[in-house]
Amino acid sequence: MNSRFSLLLFVMAGLAVAFAPLPVPPITPQVQTFEIGAGQFAYSPSELKVNPGDTVNIQLVSTDVVHGLYIDGYDISIEADPGQTKTLSFVADKPGSFRFRCNITCGAMHPFMIGKLTVGTNNWFLRSIGLATLAIISVIVSVKQKA
Amino acid sequence: MAKIELTRNPFIKNALKSRYPQLAVFIVMLVGYIFAILAGLIGTSVGSHNFSIVFVWIAWWAILILVAVPFFGRGWCAVCPIPLPGEWLQRGAVLSPPDKKPKWLNLRVPKMFRNIWLQNISFLLLALFSSVLLTTPNITGIVLAAMLFAAIGLSTIFERRSFCRYLCPVGGFIGLYSQTAPIELRVKDKQVCVKCEGKPCYNGSQAGYGCPWDVFPGGLTKNTYCGLCMECIRTCPHDNIAINLRPFSADLAKPSTRMDEAFKSFIMLGSAMIYAGVLLGPWGAFKNAAYNVGTGAWFLYAIIFLAIIFVILPGLFTLGILPTKSTLPLKQRFASLSTALIPLGLLFWVAFSLSFVLTNASYILAALSDPLGLGWNLFGTANTTWQPMLTSLLAPAQTLALVGGLIWSARTAQKAANEIKISSIPVIAFCFITTLVMLWLLL
Amino acid sequence: MKRSELLSRILITVTIVGAIGTPLFIWARTPLIHASVAEDGGWNPDTIQAHIGVPLHLKLTSDDVVHGFAVGQIDMQSVDVLPGKVTDLTLTFDKPGIYTFFCTRWCGLNHWRMRGTIEVSGSPSEPEPATVPMYVTLNLDIDVLHDSPVVPKQTPSAIRGQELITNSPILRSSNYYRSHSPYQVFDDLSDTSLTESQRWDVVAYLWRSNTSKDSFANGKQLYTQNCAACHGENGSGDGVFADDLTAAGEASMQTMTGADDMMMQSPVDFTNPVRMLGASPALLQGKILRGGMGTGMPMWGSIFTEEQIWDLIAYIYSFQFEYQQ
Repeated sequence: MNSRFSLLLFVMAGLAVAFAPLPVPPITPQVQTFEIGAGQFAYSPSELKVNPGDTVNIQLVSTDVVHGLYIDGYDISIEADPGQTKTLSFVADKPGSFRFRCNITCGAMHPFMIGKLTVGTNNWFLRSIGLATLAIISVIVSVKQKA
Repeated sequence: MAKIELTRNPFIKNALKSRYPQLAVFIVMLVGYIFAILAGLIGTSVGSHNFSIVFVWIAWWAILILVAVPFFGRGWCAVCPIPLPGEWLQRGAVLSPPDKKPKWLNLRVPKMFRNIWLQNISFLLLALFSSVLLTTPNITGIVLAAMLFAAIGLSTIFERRSFCRYLCPVGGFIGLYSQTAPIELRVKDKQVCVKCEGKPCYNGSQAGYGCPWDVFPGGLTKNTYCGLCMECIRTCPHDNIAINLRPFSADLAKPSTRMDEAFKSFIMLGSAMIYAGVLLGPWGAFKNAAYNVGTGAWFLYAIIFLAIIFVILPGLFTLGILPTKSTLPLKQRFASLSTALIPLGLLFWVAFSLSFVLTNASYILAALSDPLGLGWNLFGTANTTWQPMLTSLLAPAQTLALVGGLIWSARTAQKAANEIKISSIPVIAFCFITTLVMLWLLL
Repeated sequence: MKRSELLSRILITVTIVGAIGTPLFIWARTPLIHASVAEDGGWNPDTIQAHIGVPLHLKLTSDDVVHGFAVGQIDMQSVDVLPGKVTDLTLTFDKPGIYTFFCTRWCGLNHWRMRGTIEVSGSPSEPEPATVPMYVTLNLDIDVLHDSPVVPKQTPSAIRGQELITNSPILRSSNYYRSHSPYQVFDDLSDTSLTESQRWDVVAYLWRSNTSKDSFANGKQLYTQNCAACHGENGSGDGVFADDLTAAGEASMQTMTGADDMMMQSPVDFTNPVRMLGASPALLQGKILRGGMGTGMPMWGSIFTEEQIWDLIAYIYSFQFEYQQ
């Protein structure tokens, strides 16, 4: 098998791994409510998991100063003063992994006040593992071919 | 793919040879740098609204790691303002070529320091305190001022740009990574250099100064220590020096066997992974440990940080390459094969930086209009709200960077291993595993 | 030296001096009031001078987290003081005196200690008599226990009470309401033919009739913004700072004789009928005005107007009574 052909094969495999639609498991969407405490400089809990299509209610409870919660990808946010819990409600229609972060300056480490929301499976991460594996295989194959 | 000589183009050649364009850039950079020090010291304590934090750790860092280093190698060194006051003092002039002997002590840097270990240490010092440095304006101001004064001080004692070559924390890694860049400064014909009398490119002449980077241009085979200051282009009487466009990572085909450079690649690889976990991850305890300098938690963090960089990563790497048999002793195998980590480390830093740059770039417009947080609105953009940019492209961009870096490193490992006739599999496996960890941390 | 060298040196010197000198000059002449959390110094400066009739221009900025600014006992909307940004505010005073300004956005356990003063000079038009708070005229000791010996078996309802109310004018006066605890009113009604539960309903109605819809809403907002962080959004004394206050109390050297010092350090539970029904509005006014004497309870005397405190008190009792369907 000459190297041009195997390169083409690997590129096509790469595109498939990156973009081929994955089957979506049929889970009935439900309503999920989370109470998230926000203090300098972390959320508690800081990792949330929901299913695609769920209606998510995040009750933000600030425990020391005014904090916010902004979700990457969904571009929605809420802010709460201590003593005034606020709720962010949305439908988790975008699957994948999204970081949520504080969007109200709350002290020095504010830019790193981060949590993680996973809707369904973190497909992009799995695809990336696939691509990395494919990359290694292609390099090793070309090593063997040259030998 | 062959090299293309950029300095063939008369416009480019004249722009580089003339001192005026460079001086104009220098003035802008120096004024910006000194203003950043001022902003850090008297401006608002809130990092996101202070020029020093926003323009150093967001704007300058983004341009450095996403554009300057990958595409221009040591391009930042070419315009960096830090050595300028010291160099002007040394030369006794801002613009004119020398007409008398250099001033000041002009001592040669002692041999034991003529390596990049001091740069490794200075980078690590900043890295261990980075959570405070990146978020506190007056600390950034003090560090910037300290670097400027250190450079001036060293210039009055030692010859040439000794701060840049041996102490600068940034110079350490951009030198290493410049080996991957598609731009280089090389002589056109070595034979011309052999016959050249006096070697003015190194020793200086009426036309210009000797290489401030203590490099002999005729002997340059890699980008690592050439700061692209263009002085040799001015001094060479035979017009024998060129800036070339060349394939990426051409220098990595000649792996170095220096331990200081080998450990630099582990320092960069390790710190990118640690920052991805501590700063961009959801684990608040780590962030607090990293920020609260002086507490027990911070000491633990510092020890783990150093252990990952000096023990765990190089240890795993060494274990992997131990079984391979070669005529080369282990130490040199280790150093030569760690060259493969250079593209990986660069792209780890690109992937990490993309996240916080795209998230926080909107602060740049606000800080431009109100750099000190005094309520100014110089360009009308002071009330720009914080808004992360292009977040839907971030994950694919990071994957592209990391998988691309993996392929690049694997191929580099292949070539380096071939040179010393051993299997590249252990190094490729190491790159694969670290890439998976980085993907998990970032995605 | 060559002309180009001289010009370059001049250019460099001028640009650097300009880039440093100009901002430095403007900075030195910008009078900012810096806000930091109380643990880091609070307001700086914390004393401002003013004169009656002369507009006072203030520039406020925060050095750390979101703060707010308002002046006590004058009619003004609070403004936010944001990190890294400057808020401009102009105030004009018509009466001399010492005014207290305070932070209006919770910024930590010691948020309420973030206060300063504005000393307004000028000759007063006429001297104003000081109003003596009711707990003083009534000679109430606001530090002794005020437990109610009887508590209702179900939540008293103002709706039911409305149907039962007698026409006695004394019962309906605001003076009566303010000087009597719910238990005392319940006890005063023992000479009627109402059952215990009905009597509590009448008490609930009396309490509701001594406030209006707007005042109640105002009281609720005051509670949410100023009290909920310690006393809890549902009044149960379980606000976000409650644990920190209790921990601080354990470390505190101050004890109250004859009282449970542990309880004194936790924010009061307004849903506790024993405690609340034995307290008259005047007693609560006293506690709010004077604060907690070593507990974490702030003194609000210089901050709230009398009207605001009555509104707040009316809201606090709503944790005990059912005011609407």
